[in-house]
Amino acid sequence: MTSIPLKAIAFALLRELALALLLLLGVSFVVFAILYAAPGDQFSVLLEGQLPSEEVRAGIRAAMGVAQTWYGQYFSWLLNVLNGNFGTSVRTGQPVAGVLLNASLNTLYLTLGSMFVTLAVAVPIALYSSVRGHLAVISWPLTMLGYLFSALPVFWLGYIAIYISIHGFNFFPLSSSSQTPGQHDWLYTLVPVLVLGLGSGTISEVIRNLREEMSRVMADDYIRTARAKGASVWRHAFKEGLLLPVTEIVASKIPFLLGGAVIVEQIFNWPGMGRMAWQAAQDRDFPVIMGIVLAAAAFVRLGSLIQRMIHIAVNPQGARD
Amino acid sequence: MQNVKTYSQTNIEVGQFSQLPLRQKYAIADLLYVAYGLLIVALVLVSYILGMFDLLPHDPQQIHMDMLLAPPASNGYLLGTDFMGRDILSRLIMGIQAYFLPGLLAISIALTGGVVLGILAGYCDRKTETMITYFTNLVDSFPRLVLILLVIAAFKPDIYYIMVVMGITGVPAVATAIANKIRYLAHKNFIEAAVALGLRTRVIIFKHILWYNCRALLIIQATLGMGEAILLETSLSYLGFGVQEPMPSWGNMVQSGANYFLQGNFWPSTAPALAILFTILGFNLLGDGLNNILEDRRGR
Repeated sequence: MTSIPLKAIAFALLRELALALLLLLGVSFVVFAILYAAPGDQFSVLLEGQLPSEEVRAGIRAAMGVAQTWYGQYFSWLLNVLNGNFGTSVRTGQPVAGVLLNASLNTLYLTLGSMFVTLAVAVPIALYSSVRGHLAVISWPLTMLGYLFSALPVFWLGYIAIYISIHGFNFFPLSSSSQTPGQHDWLYTLVPVLVLGLGSGTISEVIRNLREEMSRVMADDYIRTARAKGASVWRHAFKEGLLLPVTEIVASKIPFLLGGAVIVEQIFNWPGMGRMAWQAAQDRDFPVIMGIVLAAAAFVRLGSLIQRMIHIAVNPQGARD
Repeated sequence: MQNVKTYSQTNIEVGQFSQLPLRQKYAIADLLYVAYGLLIVALVLVSYILGMFDLLPHDPQQIHMDMLLAPPASNGYLLGTDFMGRDILSRLIMGIQAYFLPGLLAISIALTGGVVLGILAGYCDRKTETMITYFTNLVDSFPRLVLILLVIAAFKPDIYYIMVVMGITGVPAVATAIANKIRYLAHKNFIEAAVALGLRTRVIIFKHILWYNCRALLIIQATLGMGEAILLETSLSYLGFGVQEPMPSWGNMVQSGANYFLQGNFWPSTAPALAILFTILGFNLLGDGLNNILEDRRGR
């Protein structure tokens, strides 16, 4: 066993961080480009319709110091965003940053909870069928169930959940208008989390990937050695067969969950980013939708950064290349 | 030229396959998956054509006030009627118009872009590869639905433009699969032989890599892509951004039946939901079954 110098690990971590920042820069540029190409003048949108002629608007823009060129506008916009100034919502007039922070926390609760639900269902199924083989008597129906849940339209699942909780448990699972997280009754949180976790379409993929990885690891030489010398197979297979694939899948499924959150938040009136995005798309509320896309991309990159860190921590050998 | 002839006469790849039995024994489950998937594809195709020529049991938009919320198999309405007395079966068939062509558009963009980028990444130097990896990571950073909501807010586009965006977000998956395949094939005997024989790069890439070895992969990606396109279109029309009432789409049918669902009239919402469920299931199972049958045995 060769020891890996800490320097190499630190270098690898720094490289991942730099890559994440570079990608976020690209994300900001794509968002800017889409809004720049959109009809209307998104970067001084409140001037639109309030001033009669183009000359007056141009005069105001010059007076306010709005850049003329597209890259000038991009950099001044980017600086604003980096300072936490996302503009004010066209609809409500509130600054976007504060609202977005609240909403993104709510969405974080929803997605983390549903990820936990997905794993709680998928991991046992995957482990069982990887140990017992692809077509064991129970494993096949379980896999089929995973497929079914993945193809299930999440909005219909939401209605079923609402119906069951109204008629079976006598409570109405739509969260109230309270905007602050943590004040909901835990039941109100539980139903949307369950619906997104079961219906987001990730279960069957988690099962499939995990089963393949686990079967591959279980067939490896070092597991055979561990088994032969009577050591715990589980302890040896855990890192590579479970921890790494799970973090990898979870990180790659964050975009999916955020997309599913748009629908689930819509059904359950959950005060999160997805519902805000829906409202903003209805109203063409550019500052809000822009902030949401940036925040969502930041979530995705953060998840994948954490995954890379776990990967390097588990397997420092990989930090070398 | 003579060299080329020699190559095609002595099929170098034979050695690799000759150890496999001619008739491979596939898992029954995979065959069932594929059979079910093909059935669904055929159903969708036939329904699409029926809808195109208006060969429907009833007019999907005709309101029958005397036949509200009729249960299935009642009085000539095979799947019953919705809350406005409109025939559900006809509306389901018409709903396929909402996603079929847009879905094909998304798939073709994803496949074309993915093939080009995959070849570039797998065949060119490291610099190109790094740039393409950056691009795929960049596209993957956006949650698809959220990005599409941004595009909707910016342009109020129709479904075809939305599906262009969908196709672009599908590029990374195809590109990665193709690039991996090329990297796997690159140091196979037959490719090395082809290079040594002086075949043009174009011929090697298009004939020997893409046509002979990536056909299956592309078909699989296309099937899975159709499932995703259906999911996206139904989600958007559920959210009110796609096809609008009274034009039927599976998504807005589920949505408009929602109030009746919570009152206990499950069917108007459930029929389109089941259509979505079984159709997406069909495409997913077809893709996975084909993957297990065609790719796993040759890929490893």
